[in-house]
Amino acid sequence: MASTTDTMSLNLKIWRQKDPTVEGKLVDYKVDNVSPDQSFLEMIDVLNDQLVRKGEDPIAFDHDCREGICGMCSMTIDGKAHGGFKNTTTCQVHMRLYKSGDTIVIEPFRAQAFPVIKDLTVDRSAIDKVMAAGGYVTANTGNAPDGNAIPIPKPVADAAMDAAACIGCGACVASCPNGSGMLFMSAKVSQLALLPQGKPEAPRRALNMVYTHDSLGFGNCSVHAECEATCPKGISIEHIARANREYMKAAFSYHEKTHSEGGA
Amino acid sequence: MSLNLDSKIPSGPLSEKWAKHKFEMKRVNPANKRKFTVIVVGTGLAGASASATLAELGYNVLSFCIQDSARRAHSIAAQGGINAAKNYPNDGDSVKNLFYDTIKGGDYRAREANVYRLAEVSNNIIDQMVAQGVPFAREYGGYLDNRSFGGAQVSRTFYARGQTGQQLLLGAYSGMMKMVSKGKIKQYNRREMMDLVTINGKARGIIVRNLITGELERYAADAVLLCTGGYGNVFYLSTNAQVSNGSAAWRCHKRGAGFANPCFTQIHPTCIPVHGDYQSKLTLMSESLRNDGRVWVPKKEGDTRKPADIPDEERDYYLERVYPSFGNLAPRDVSSRQAKFRCDEGKGVGPTKQAVYLDFRDAIKRDGKEVIAGKYGNLFEMYERITADDPYKTPMMIYPAVHYTMGGLWVDYNLQSTIPGLHVLGEANFSDHGANRLGASALMQGLADGYFVIPYTLSNYLASTPLEKVTTEDNAFKDAEQAVMLQTSKILGIKGKRTVSDFHKALGHIMWDKVGMSRNEEGLKSAINEIRKLREEFWHDVNVPGDTGNFNLELHKATRVADYLELGELMALDALERKESCGGHFREEFQTPDNEARRDDEHFTHAAVWEYTGQNSSPIRHTEELKFENVQLATRSYK
Amino acid sequence: MMTSAVNHYFRSSIGRKHLVGITGLLLCGFLVSHLLGNLLLLVGPDAFNLYAHKLVSLGGLLYVLEAGLALVFLVHMYLAVRLNLENLRSRGKYAVKKRTGRGTTLMSATMPYTGMILLVFLVLHLMNLKFGSVYTTVVDGTEMRDIYKTTMEYFASPVSVGWYVFAMFCAAFHTAHGFSSAFQSLGWNHPKYYGKVKIIGYLYAILVGGGFAFVSVWAYLKGV
Repeated sequence: MASTTDTMSLNLKIWRQKDPTVEGKLVDYKVDNVSPDQSFLEMIDVLNDQLVRKGEDPIAFDHDCREGICGMCSMTIDGKAHGGFKNTTTCQVHMRLYKSGDTIVIEPFRAQAFPVIKDLTVDRSAIDKVMAAGGYVTANTGNAPDGNAIPIPKPVADAAMDAAACIGCGACVASCPNGSGMLFMSAKVSQLALLPQGKPEAPRRALNMVYTHDSLGFGNCSVHAECEATCPKGISIEHIARANREYMKAAFSYHEKTHSEGGA
Repeated sequence: MSLNLDSKIPSGPLSEKWAKHKFEMKRVNPANKRKFTVIVVGTGLAGASASATLAELGYNVLSFCIQDSARRAHSIAAQGGINAAKNYPNDGDSVKNLFYDTIKGGDYRAREANVYRLAEVSNNIIDQMVAQGVPFAREYGGYLDNRSFGGAQVSRTFYARGQTGQQLLLGAYSGMMKMVSKGKIKQYNRREMMDLVTINGKARGIIVRNLITGELERYAADAVLLCTGGYGNVFYLSTNAQVSNGSAAWRCHKRGAGFANPCFTQIHPTCIPVHGDYQSKLTLMSESLRNDGRVWVPKKEGDTRKPADIPDEERDYYLERVYPSFGNLAPRDVSSRQAKFRCDEGKGVGPTKQAVYLDFRDAIKRDGKEVIAGKYGNLFEMYERITADDPYKTPMMIYPAVHYTMGGLWVDYNLQSTIPGLHVLGEANFSDHGANRLGASALMQGLADGYFVIPYTLSNYLASTPLEKVTTEDNAFKDAEQAVMLQTSKILGIKGKRTVSDFHKALGHIMWDKVGMSRNEEGLKSAINEIRKLREEFWHDVNVPGDTGNFNLELHKATRVADYLELGELMALDALERKESCGGHFREEFQTPDNEARRDDEHFTHAAVWEYTGQNSSPIRHTEELKFENVQLATRSYK
Repeated sequence: MMTSAVNHYFRSSIGRKHLVGITGLLLCGFLVSHLLGNLLLLVGPDAFNLYAHKLVSLGGLLYVLEAGLALVFLVHMYLAVRLNLENLRSRGKYAVKKRTGRGTTLMSATMPYTGMILLVFLVLHLMNLKFGSVYTTVVDGTEMRDIYKTTMEYFASPVSVGWYVFAMFCAAFHTAHGFSSAFQSLGWNHPKYYGKVKIIGYLYAILVGGGFAFVSVWAYLKGV
């Protein structure tokens, strides 16, 4: 550990909001003795510890694995989702990136589709709803042929993996000037459109996922690519383009017979 | 009181048991399946795969998860891979080999029939996950790639970059979401299971806390599946996620489920060391690093020179020295223990002296930086992000950390606990890994249980058990809810001086020092006393601000820590009673002259299953004898 | 919703982005033809007037073309305004909002503003030139409108030229983002080509925006 004994003092402005029904505001806090080796969330832990000792309500924030993979941690730090560091989630931000005396503004991930629950915690269930609309391959347990029955070219598998790396944190939405969920939605559409396993229901998936995305209050993509820059997994907007193609194909060619037409 | 520990292992030859059992089990008519409701607690690999599969079959599934989405369960953090006996690389692997390696790796403390079944269904898991669109690594020809792992003799590990757990979980989660869209799964997120409700001796429901509103909610069903993972967070610092906890399993234990082998804990050798008392978590660095990294400490005690300044002849590459044939690839339990020995000798490195070097200098010299970056680039980046040290230039510092718990609720061959109707899947049960788990086997077990075991055995239970109608208005629900409410108000009423984390950290220190990598009678006894004392203090001096009426994070932590303070004691007690060394359980009194674990097969070839007898009486230790009919018990040697 | 997939297309975010992209690219095409026409100013009054007269002589066809062009403009503007209003609602209201510096550009951030300026410009432009002062002239024995004179008169004012150059600067800004962005919206983002598409977009913006501005400045300088 390239540890230093120098500790830091920081001024924090943190969004406090008791529940969704009341107005929130930025509240000033000061933390001392912050070690540069501390993670950002550990710095908040220390602050919360102080608050609890004073009998005050600690700051509510989402976090879980603290190793950058579960997608639970959020926070908009100094106006940037996850702090705006390349390929980094909030839990992997370390205090050595700041210097003593800094003022740091901490707000929740904000978007119309992500209402605040309390303080820095937001409701991201819209992400699940978009996934339920088609982010899967209908392959019931027991149906599967041998894993090697369908060869998949390595570049295709790799491209699908690039898209599949999405951790569903919602930073793309929080950082998008339009509050759009296109990046995470398209990552799933794209992953499954690339793979042969996902092709049979690709049109249906694209239609349903886009429809659901739009109905949940997410905005439209206007190609700022702020999502791509913020994504902690470096997912490219190339996947949005693929989703656009998939959607266009599906909208003009996909047809499913309804019951009255003699369909299933 | 007693526990029914009939393992219900089917008769017949090992390789035919599961097929025979599947044939003999009762099935539920497709039209009747929709009349049954099943509660699944947890959405990790076991919970998500079980929920999806049971819903596909037609059961109504109520799925509970503690995070804000099922996709965040901690299975997501597994890096390395998943084993299967496909033998794609043509290196002589087979179901029997995988079975044998798992039994041996577990130091002969797992049930043969369960492990054989696990190996048998391992191949189906890969097929199923591929069909669901999991982008496993592939060769240029388009076929699946394999790598070797954990010192196995064959390459049987399937992987998706360093994110295998994530990809498998998202695959299982997507299957779940498909059934959510069809209305067969109802999701209850941000819920924590607070108690199990039993009616007429059968598990019929749960009480959960809605973590947002603070309210308690009741849910009734025909069976309950517990898929809540392990209890490694007893140690405060572990590689587990923050909300991974043992409370659901512990509450079931208190309702009558036997707890098996609680002392079997896996300490993973390659984690980023502790560096401050503010620390909340230990980060794992994949075991695969030991394929190219060399582990060493300075030969001289208290050597403070920079690693680069220490010449080769003054370095002790102790794994290579002690285990010439396995070297740096010695299994997890063995490697962890050796690191501890070196630090105990005063040869540890870094500011805390509780670390050893994992050095890539020679590998970079041999293969070039490009090749090493290709293999481990993302891990090196992660290490640098956390420590600000560049592993290309200076060796990594690593130290063992709590990673996995082999112990868990006792289950029979059908994955049913000692409470009828309560089935336990994945890390939460005890069945498959014995005293030490091999790398890349946890993902395999979670998915095997959820996809390919429980759908059959649960149907058998539902078809063969008379289940009277229950509602959440039954007294059992009211009583259970009342008990949780009482506990909650008691905790909130204390308003003492110490925080929940203070207690958790104190417990963690006791556990790590005395019930950790190396244990002895004196230490375990004192640990038990200290834990009791700490528990006493907790109930008098903990400070939990606020009330239940909203999102009270301190309260959530407090109820978990209250349970850890009981579970920790049972772990120490189990370790005290198991007077042998095996796998991750190392008792200093039972070692060979060269400090290796000495098993006692005569007295301890069994699972210790603990029965809860009440708050003020001692738990009772029962045993399930483990019969080895197909493998020869042998001493594990990695020399 | 399946059977009405085509209907949904026109209401979905992606469908409407497609339409904005397609109309945007059509407008880009129109700008090129317009610029080529303007360059005839440099050749001389007769060439310019003849060209304009040719267009007018198309008669009914011209009306069809103009109506088509107007429709493209209207669809582009209508959808862009609607999308922007929706986005205003959807986006997070932050107390402090910063960009990463790796995504949003000044060009992309100002799309609604440059678009609005271009709309104002368009109206004034039609009023000042197409529907501006009418002179007549005779070229090769044919009487026709002296649109050359109207144009040169208009560009004789430094205020007009200033405004015109500013508007063309906005057009360049708008297309610098819009051009490649349209490709992305239409799904034409391939890792091998998208970088080049972006460069072409920037070149387009500079050449077209710069071309128009150059002609106006040239006209001003000629009149001085």
